[in-house]
Amino acid sequence: MPTTPRRLLAVVALVGLLGGCGGTAATGDPVPDGELRVAAQFAPRSGYAMDTDDAFVVAQVGSSEALVRAGSDGTPQPGLATSWRQDGASWTFQLRPGVTFHDGTPLTPSAVVTALTWVAGVAAPPRAIKGIGLRATETGPDAVTVTTAAPDPILPLRLSSVNTAILAPSAYTGGPPSVIGTGTGPMRLVAAQGNQEAVLERNDSYWGGRPQIAKATVRFITDPAARALALRAGDVEIAQGLPESALLEFTPGNGYADQTVAAPRTVSLMLNQKGAFADVRVRQAVEKALDRTALAEQALAGSALPASELYGPAVAWGSQDPPAGPDPQGARELLAQAGSPQLTVRLQTYPNRPELPTLATAVQGMLREVGIDAQIQIGEYGPQEPQLLAGDYDMFLLSRNYLTDVPDTGSTLVSDYSCAGSYNINQYCSPEYDALLAPLATTTDPAGRQAVFRAAAARLTADVVGVPLVHSQENAVTKGVAGFVVDPLAKQLITPELTRAG
Amino acid sequence: MSGLLARRLVALPFVLLGAALLIFLLPRMAGVDTVRSVLRSRVAEAEPDPEVAARVTAELGLDRSWLEQFLRWLGHALTGDLGISFATRTPIAPQLGAALEVSAVLAAGALLVAGLVGIPLGVWAARRPGGLADRAVTGFSVLGVAVPEFVLAPVLVLLLAIAVPLLPATGWGTPAQAVLPVLTLAAFPTALAAQLTRAETLDALGRPHVAVALAKGIGGAQLIWRHGARLALTGVTALSGMFFAGLLGGAVVVEVAFGIPGLGRLLYDAVVGQDLPMLQSGLLAVVAVAVLAGVAAELLQLALDPVARSEAET
Repeated sequence: MPTTPRRLLAVVALVGLLGGCGGTAATGDPVPDGELRVAAQFAPRSGYAMDTDDAFVVAQVGSSEALVRAGSDGTPQPGLATSWRQDGASWTFQLRPGVTFHDGTPLTPSAVVTALTWVAGVAAPPRAIKGIGLRATETGPDAVTVTTAAPDPILPLRLSSVNTAILAPSAYTGGPPSVIGTGTGPMRLVAAQGNQEAVLERNDSYWGGRPQIAKATVRFITDPAARALALRAGDVEIAQGLPESALLEFTPGNGYADQTVAAPRTVSLMLNQKGAFADVRVRQAVEKALDRTALAEQALAGSALPASELYGPAVAWGSQDPPAGPDPQGARELLAQAGSPQLTVRLQTYPNRPELPTLATAVQGMLREVGIDAQIQIGEYGPQEPQLLAGDYDMFLLSRNYLTDVPDTGSTLVSDYSCAGSYNINQYCSPEYDALLAPLATTTDPAGRQAVFRAAAARLTADVVGVPLVHSQENAVTKGVAGFVVDPLAKQLITPELTRAG
Repeated sequence: MSGLLARRLVALPFVLLGAALLIFLLPRMAGVDTVRSVLRSRVAEAEPDPEVAARVTAELGLDRSWLEQFLRWLGHALTGDLGISFATRTPIAPQLGAALEVSAVLAAGALLVAGLVGIPLGVWAARRPGGLADRAVTGFSVLGVAVPEFVLAPVLVLLLAIAVPLLPATGWGTPAQAVLPVLTLAAFPTALAAQLTRAETLDALGRPHVAVALAKGIGGAQLIWRHGARLALTGVTALSGMFFAGLLGGAVVVEVAFGIPGLGRLLYDAVVGQDLPMLQSGLLAVVAVAVLAGVAAELLQLALDPVARSEAET
């Protein structure tokens, strides 16, 4: 059978020719009532439990909504509540009229109280509302009052957290609330097959207008290469979080649209101030030794942005400035002044963020140039954490999301950098810095709070409290889709405006 | 044969008990803070409050002694109650059952391909040692053993889902979606089966009874299949039990690459999330299947090989 091997060879040869080509469909006119398939980056790990990070998945697929939405400028915007007002430790939220849950029952103050009471009462309350003593009570036919142990200036922002989404009372029947058919969002979750896929149908009675997509299937594909292949094979129309190398294949000429946005996540080199980096001159030397532009553009092949300070372009108060260039000679002089012209330290990190070992190697090379011998140790994060918090380390490369739940970074500034901070890996303690944060306890105005964030970040930069290296980016590639926007806060994916295009 | 079966069945509970003890102890000896891992999906990097950690420790039953935890888990498992997952807070049995079913289909499919392709290839190669067919099969076998699954999987997708769009690249639930993962998983056992069959067939062809057969005038393909390949089958059969158990829980790469909700991925997630009840039940299920598959393979081998049967009976 001589033809079979020839056919095989022809197929193999075709891979080379077609492998780099995608389809030819370009984004065109909206297709009404289309079906959408998505390759999602993060899979639910906790059975869609609303008190865990799985709540992000439920929100992303367009099923659940909270009382408040977070605006792109960090301000609270109306969600299931249309307005709110503060009275001391109480905030009263006016509910949106005409909203119904996916099971057909109406949104009522009682339903909101049930949902908020449940999430406030779980064994380990979610980060956004942890330790604030949240209580919810009905206030009339269309309002709810939420009270906290002490006046909370950012309670509306806290209630934009995906964990505080309001599900129908039928979801709360003991045990983890059911997310199937109990949300209020534009898409109704009809089936959730573990961490494989979720199937959604349009919520025709959505309060925000009839969604364009009739049906959506979200496949959770955790391997980035597999997501890229699924998009190329036409298995999906949207793929989140593709590797930088794969993005080169998805060009507009082939009908693909790539969106890359800055994420509220920074990779920083933490420096132990109760150990090898107690002397600010040694910390400054490390800062001068590092070429952050090269780290972002060469070591990480442009998949991240160079960081000049803790906050980057993902947030309104973040720095847009490029970092200072490297100064190896200045670094050597500072080390000599500090009496440590040659320094041997441990550089620890963890592997489940693939960019970290790569960065560690690049940082090691740059530090070697100025006389610092950084010995890399890579291990799982969990077992290292107690050592880090106890100050038993030298350098640690950490990837940290500073806006995990709400568009307010006050809690991160306290936990990570204040003298009493519970996650103060740098072992930094400055009464002046702590005093800078004091207004956050009473300031409600987002602009006023953001001014404090800027001042705190500047102070941390001046004191060289670790060295922010790069800001991460999020991306997604689409084909045959219109109205798609990458949400850097990872709360939205399927929206009413999203549509298939042909 | 019935004696062997009885001996194996008597040993089974002791094997499972020993395995259960090891499976229970090993994750606890790794030094990972289980409560901290469970809480990571709730509080991320932040250190949980001690009272919250204590509450969750009690809720998960981790405040009891190791012995008490083990006996409680074992007692419940014996009654069919595998407990509640630390991660999902939902019963383990349905999740484990669904994952086992997926992995069993994958593993059985891969072994079927290995048998249907590997054995004929091995026999074909043994017909003329050193010939073109033999070299081709050996080359294929080397590739099948050497190319890792994380390379083969995307290559197959490029070939059969993108360049020639015959099959879906990812997912699970339709026969078409099973083809590429099964082919990926089958590469290694197929290569091994081909080489094993080749070696066994060559060995069998050199034995005296085959020489007698040749003297009787039986030759060619009939000789090879009746006297050579049949004996070779016994070796492959003995290996298949081990392979089945290995593929059942060890197909993590393939399951991740194709987005398949199988047992390997379930176990991997359980290790990462320190979901101890899921990990314990999943591993115990793999061990149980391994033991049973081993016994089944041994029985099948005895049925195929009269020499081994008579040795077992004496």
